[in-house]
Amino acid sequence: MENSVLLKQVEDLAQKLEGEFEESLGTPVLKIKGTKVMEALLAAKNFSGSPCDFLHDLTAVDYPDRNEIEVVYHLTSLRGSQMLRIKATVGRDNPVIDSAVKVWAGANVMERECYDLMGVKFNGHPDLKRILLWDDFEGHPLRKDYVTESLEERKRLRVMQPDE
Amino acid sequence: MLRTEEIQINIGPQHPATHGVFRMLVNVDGEVVTKVENKVGYLHRGMEKLAESRTYPQFIPYTDRLDYLAAIVANVGYVQTVEKLMGVEVPERAEYLRVIFMELQRIASHMIATGCASSDLGGLTPFLYCMRDRERILDMFEMTIGSRLTVNLPRIGGVIEPPEEFWPALNQFLDDMPGIIDEYNGIITGNEIFQVRTKGIGKLSKEMAEQLSATGPVLRASGVKWDTRKNAPYGIYDRFDFDVPTGENGDCFDRYYVRILEMVESAKIIRQAVRDIPEGPTFAKVPKMIKPPAGEVYHRIEGVRGELGFYIVSDGTTKPYRLRMRGGSFINIQMLPLVVPGWKVGDLIAILASLDIVLPECDR
Repeated sequence: MENSVLLKQVEDLAQKLEGEFEESLGTPVLKIKGTKVMEALLAAKNFSGSPCDFLHDLTAVDYPDRNEIEVVYHLTSLRGSQMLRIKATVGRDNPVIDSAVKVWAGANVMERECYDLMGVKFNGHPDLKRILLWDDFEGHPLRKDYVTESLEERKRLRVMQPDE
Repeated sequence: MLRTEEIQINIGPQHPATHGVFRMLVNVDGEVVTKVENKVGYLHRGMEKLAESRTYPQFIPYTDRLDYLAAIVANVGYVQTVEKLMGVEVPERAEYLRVIFMELQRIASHMIATGCASSDLGGLTPFLYCMRDRERILDMFEMTIGSRLTVNLPRIGGVIEPPEEFWPALNQFLDDMPGIIDEYNGIITGNEIFQVRTKGIGKLSKEMAEQLSATGPVLRASGVKWDTRKNAPYGIYDRFDFDVPTGENGDCFDRYYVRILEMVESAKIIRQAVRDIPEGPTFAKVPKMIKPPAGEVYHRIEGVRGELGFYIVSDGTTKPYRLRMRGGSFINIQMLPLVVPGWKVGDLIAILASLDIVLPECDR
């Protein structure tokens, strides 16, 4: 089974990068520090037998209790049904991680979205600016401590103010 | 010789050719495009944030608003993700019904794509032919659940049983399907003006498509034989016999024609599903309170515009801790700034039409 080949390789990689390896509902998960993400992505891209060479998705999850943000990569391939989840942990106060644009050009908009909504800065991204929200928007809405406006405030916002 | 100067023009967001509220900042030198910048986000509703304050069943109607032309596909993708997390086994009949509805929805959506490919290039009549045929599918949805566009059809654990008059309508539609495809081929595919405007325009190479994480018909038109239904099956798709149509050149014409061929394959899947569908219940026993165990799940399905992925992080409560949706449009649209420079403004519209983006899915 190609899945067992992949599991073995992910396990070896976890050891090499001092990360953790687990399996969640049939998907191998590799948990590493944010500084080692490029090594992990390049290694996963070149796995022999079952490479994970297609960047399927890139997102981030906020964990305020641990003061961490996890940048989550879902790697698949166009040559098999394998899927690998790489979770890179960065500090919540100054989340900086290497950009994957050099490996996959398609990471461009996904990283911009991640920066926009979660505030993760990607080192080496060619054009890191907001994509879904407007440029002078304050804050990153998908963070858990982002305060959404109250209903009263929304009612006020719906009506055009005289100075607008 | 006349001196030309590069100017920047703005296309969209309110323009029929941009398929919604997509905006492009285009630098043109005469009529030749030199640079394109995508501007998205006009339809951003913060769905991922909204999900964090909704219970799992409450979020199903929101997935309708993800891709309004293919609501059922997103619905099923979401409920299958929750089912995967909870370990719910869906009854056989419900699985078959979901396949029938999803493929009908795929045909309906591809009909719009086909019609738009023509209408954006100036041929308005074929668009009305496509709308006419799509109407029959929407009527079937209306029969089943009462609404036509944002149907909100499946539930966690099952799907609604269609009424009796659904089956004759479906069979009649399947019988008419070859004629419908012939008509499209006659009126659009075979049209010389359409061919000249699309063949060889906006080529996306195989390597580039893969680099850009493109999925769906855009990827297949570039010659990659990859379909999640076939290569990484979910639900019961491994039981059906169908082909994965691919293009050769990755130009506008291939992106258009792959969709026509996909409609034929979808009709083939529906026929097999109608033949094999067993009797039985359509709902599994699920608890009243949907409370998945703590954990993470990623589920990907073949959406109409590319792979649709749902990533749920659950903390064991009734609301998701984090829900991420990966839409095909958002990622496929990246090819525009790379492919368009060098083509004329009219070709830009042809390329955009062939991508068949839907902005709510892009902006979420």
